[in-house]
Amino acid sequence: MNQFPLLSAIVFLPLLGGLLVLAWPRRPSLCRAFSLAVTLADLALVLLLFIPGLRRSGGPWFRVEDYAWIPSVGIRYTLAADGLSLMLLLLTTFLGVLCVLVSWKDIEEKVSSYHFFLLSTLTGILGVFVATDLFLFYLFWEVQIIPMFFLVGIWGHEQRTRTAMKFILFTMAGSLFMLIAMIGLYVVHGRQTGIYTFDLSSLIGTSLTGSVQGWLYAAFMLSFCIKIPVVPVHTWLPDTHTQAPTAGSVILAGLLLKAGAYAVFRFALPLFPTAFRASVPLLIVLGLIGLFYASWIALSQVDVKRLVAYSSIAHMGLVVLGLAVLNSVTLSGSLLQMINHGVSTSALFILVGMLGERIHSRQFKDFGGLWRKMPVFSAFFLFFSMAALGLPGLNNFIGEILILIGTYKVNPIAAAFGFAGLLFGVIYVLRMVQDALFGEIKGEEAVLRDIDSREVVILAALALAVLFLGLWPGPVLGLFEEPVNGLIRLMMPAGVS
Amino acid sequence: MESTWIVIFPEILIAAGGLLIFCAGAFWPRRPEKLLSYLALIFLAGTILSSAFAPMAGMSLSGMLDSEGYARLFSTLIASIAFVTVLISFRYSKRRNFGNDEYYGILLFATLGMDLVARASHWLVFFLGLELLSISLYILIAIRRDDPFYGEAALKYLITGAVAGAFVTFGIGLWYAGSGSLAVSTGFAGFPGSADVQIMLAALALILVGIGFKISMVPFHLWTPDVYQGSPAPVTAFLATGSKVAVLGFLIRFCFHMPDPLWSAFKPALWIIAFLTLVVGTVTALSQSDLKRLLAYSSVAQMGYLIMSLLAVKLQSGLFALAFYLIVYAAMDLGAFGMIASLSEESKDRDTLHEYQGLGYTRPWSAAILSFCLLSLAGLPPTAGFVGKVILFKAVLQANVVSLAVIAIAMAALSIYLYMKVVVSLYMKPGAATAPISSLGFYEQLGGGLILLFLLWSGIAPSPLLDLISRIVPAGM
Repeated sequence: MNQFPLLSAIVFLPLLGGLLVLAWPRRPSLCRAFSLAVTLADLALVLLLFIPGLRRSGGPWFRVEDYAWIPSVGIRYTLAADGLSLMLLLLTTFLGVLCVLVSWKDIEEKVSSYHFFLLSTLTGILGVFVATDLFLFYLFWEVQIIPMFFLVGIWGHEQRTRTAMKFILFTMAGSLFMLIAMIGLYVVHGRQTGIYTFDLSSLIGTSLTGSVQGWLYAAFMLSFCIKIPVVPVHTWLPDTHTQAPTAGSVILAGLLLKAGAYAVFRFALPLFPTAFRASVPLLIVLGLIGLFYASWIALSQVDVKRLVAYSSIAHMGLVVLGLAVLNSVTLSGSLLQMINHGVSTSALFILVGMLGERIHSRQFKDFGGLWRKMPVFSAFFLFFSMAALGLPGLNNFIGEILILIGTYKVNPIAAAFGFAGLLFGVIYVLRMVQDALFGEIKGEEAVLRDIDSREVVILAALALAVLFLGLWPGPVLGLFEEPVNGLIRLMMPAGVS
Repeated sequence: MESTWIVIFPEILIAAGGLLIFCAGAFWPRRPEKLLSYLALIFLAGTILSSAFAPMAGMSLSGMLDSEGYARLFSTLIASIAFVTVLISFRYSKRRNFGNDEYYGILLFATLGMDLVARASHWLVFFLGLELLSISLYILIAIRRDDPFYGEAALKYLITGAVAGAFVTFGIGLWYAGSGSLAVSTGFAGFPGSADVQIMLAALALILVGIGFKISMVPFHLWTPDVYQGSPAPVTAFLATGSKVAVLGFLIRFCFHMPDPLWSAFKPALWIIAFLTLVVGTVTALSQSDLKRLLAYSSVAQMGYLIMSLLAVKLQSGLFALAFYLIVYAAMDLGAFGMIASLSEESKDRDTLHEYQGLGYTRPWSAAILSFCLLSLAGLPPTAGFVGKVILFKAVLQANVVSLAVIAIAMAALSIYLYMKVVVSLYMKPGAATAPISSLGFYEQLGGGLILLFLLWSGIAPSPLLDLISRIVPAGM
C-alpha cells in the first residue's frame, strides 16, 4: 500500500525548508524568496492529490501511509487523507503562500528565524489534518503551538510576551488533559483486546462504560473547545490575534481554529458517540452563546483586529452548532464553513494588517475616509466584509444557510436563534465598513497610499477563492460527502438521525 | 575468581583513574589541566565501554554487587553523566581556576560512589557508595575556595547529608534486626519467613527518609534550591543528575523486588510523597525568579513524576518507563545546567532571569540548547521529555493510579508556565544582559551538542533506546 510518501512530503516540506532558511540569517530577501518557493511547491504537491489517478487506497481514504514507529508502545506513523483532509491541506498550503507574501514587508527583523517558525507551524498544522494515529496527531497538535508561541512572542505587538504566555498556557493546559485521556483510552482498549495501539480506526471500536467515556470525552473536548474556541474558554483568542503579526493572525484564524473543529469531527465524535450525544444540548447552547456573545462584544470594539477576532469566535460558534446538530446537511455546512471562514477571515486580517503597516494603528479612531485615498484597497475591504456578513453569492452564505437549514429540521428554536445571531454580524460588519471606509480622513493623508501589486495578488487570490466557494461549492461539498456519510453511518447504529 | 575481576572492572577503572589524576597533580611540576581532564575523559570512556560490554554475571562478590543488565545500565548512565560533566566543566573550571587534580579526581570518586549505589545489592555497599558520593560532593560544591558563597552551600549539603546518612544507618541497623540479613533483595527469597515485618517497616521508613533527602522528596527537599544555587554550575549539573539517578536507580530495583506485606504498606506512602513532591515542587517553582532555584524546584517536581511511576514499578512497562525517563531526565538537567555554566560570567553564575534577557540573540547556540532542554523538561514534543512523559503516564494508568496521574498532568500544565518564562526571558525581552565575551568552547559545544542530539533523537525515534532498555532490563530483574 505504501507508494511514494506524498503526504509525508507535503507535511514535512515546510519544516525542511524552514531549517534551510535558518542557515541564512544575514540574507533576508533570499529567505523570503525561498520560503515563498517552498510554500508554492507544497501547494503544488497538495494539488497533485486532486488528480484522481494519484488517489490509491481503500475506503474513504485517498491515500494512506503507514509505518511502524515505536512498536514497543504500539505507536505507528499513520497519515491518511480523505476529502476533508484534502480541502484543509489545500487551505493550509494556500494560506501558507499568502502568509509568506503578507510578511514580505511587515517583517524586517530576524527574517530567517521568522520564516523558520512560520514554516514549522505549517508542518504542525498539515500534520494535524492527516494524522490518524492518536499519538502522532497529538504530536502535531502540540508542535503547531510552539512555533506560534515564538511568532507571537518575538514579532508581535506591544503586549506580546504576556499574550504569548497566555496563548501557550491556554492551549497546552487543554491538550495535556487530552493527552492523559488519550493514554487512558489506549490502556482501556489494550485491556479489552490485548492490543495496545493508538490507531484511530481500532480505537473507535472500544466499548467504554458511561462515566469513563464521559470523562475521556470531556478531556478531549476541553482541548478542542479551547482551540475552536468555544465560549467560555475563548479569552486567549482576542488577545493573541491582536498582538500577533499579520501572518500569525492568518494562521490562527485560518488554520489553528480549524484544527479544533476538525479534531471534534475526526476524533471526538467517532471515539465517544454516546457521550457526544449526551452533550449535544450543551454544545448547541454553547455554540449559540458564542455566536451572540462574541457578536455583541464585537460591536463595542475600538480595535479593528479585536473586532475581527470576535467575529471569528462568532463564526466558529455557528460551526459548533452545525457539528452538534449532527445531520449530513449541518455537518457538510460546518465543514464548508470552516473553509469559508478560513478564507474570508484571513482576508480581513490581511486587510487590517495592510492598514496597520500604513497608519501604524489598529484603532477605529485613526481610520476613516479610506475610500477616497485607497480605492482598490477599499473595494477589496468591502468585498470581504460582504463575504463575512453572508451576502448570497459569496462563500459564507452557503455554509451558514446549510447549517441553519439542517438545524431547522431538527431543532427549530436553535435555528431561529442562529438566524438572529447572524443579524448581529451584519451590524458589526457594516459598522466596521462605515467607520473605516467612509467619513473624514483622520491623521496624515500622505501615508494612505493604495495597495501595490504584491498586495493585489494576495487579495485577488483570496477573492477568487471566495467567489469560487460562493458560486460553485459543489465540488467541495462533494469531497465532504464521503467523510460525512462515513461519520453518520458510524453514529447511526446507536440511533441518531 | 576470574569473572569477579571482569565484573568490577569498571569500578576498578574509575578508582584507578581518580588515583592517577591525584598522582599526576602531585608529581607534575605545573599542574597540567589539559592532561588531567583528558585523563578523566579517557578513564570515564573506558568505564562506559567496560560496563556496557562486560558480560552479565548475576550477583557477584558474594552477593554484594548486582551485575545484571539493569544495574549495568545505570553504571553506564552514571559514567556518561560524569563524562559530559567533565566536558562542560573544562573551560568553566579553567577560567575560574579550580580545574586542578582535586576537581577531576574527586569527580571520579563521586562517580564511583554513585556507581556503587546504583549497583548495590548489599546494604553495606549501598552505604559505602552513598557516603563516598556525599563526601565527594561536599568538596566539589566548595571547590571554589576563594568565595564563602560556595562554602555556605557545601555546609548546607553537608548538614542535610549527615542527617540523611544517620537515618539510613539506623534504618539499615533495624533492617538487619528485622530480617537478619544485610542483603537488599536476595534476602526476600522466602519472605517473610522468620523476619519481623514490623521492624522492617520501621527500617523502610527510616531508609526512605534518608533516600528522600538525597533525591529531594518533599518534605526533605528544602536544601535543594540553596545548594543548587550555591554550587558552581557544572557541579550543580552533576549533583542534580548523577546522585539522583544513582539513588533512584537503587530505589527502583529495591521496590521492584519488595515482597508483598512490605510493598502494600509502602505504596500509600509513595503515593502521598509523590503527590506532595509534584505539587510543592511545581507550585513553588512558579514564583522563582532565579534560574538555578527555578530549575532546583523543577527537578523536585521531576522527582515527583518518577516517584509517581514507582507505583507502577511492578509492571514491565513501569520499569521501562522509569529507566527511560531517568536517562532523559539526566540529559535534560545536564544540558540545562551545563548551558547555565557556559552562559555565566566568571565572578558568579548568572542568577536572575533578568540577567538572561536577550541572550538568545547574543549567544544563540547556548541559549538554543538551554531552551531545548527546557522544552524537554516541560514535556513538549518533539523532545525526549515528551516521549518520556507519555510512556510514564501510560505505565501509571496501567497500574490504575488514575487520580494521581490527573493531578500530575495538571502540574505538568502549570509547569509549562515556568519553563516558558525562561524562554521568554531569553528571546522576548529586551536585551539587558551583557553577553560574556567568550563564545562556546569546543568541549562545551561537544557536551551541549551531544545532549541536544540525544534529546531530539530520542524524541523523534525513541525506539532504539526503548528496545535497548527492554533487551537489558528483564535480564536483570
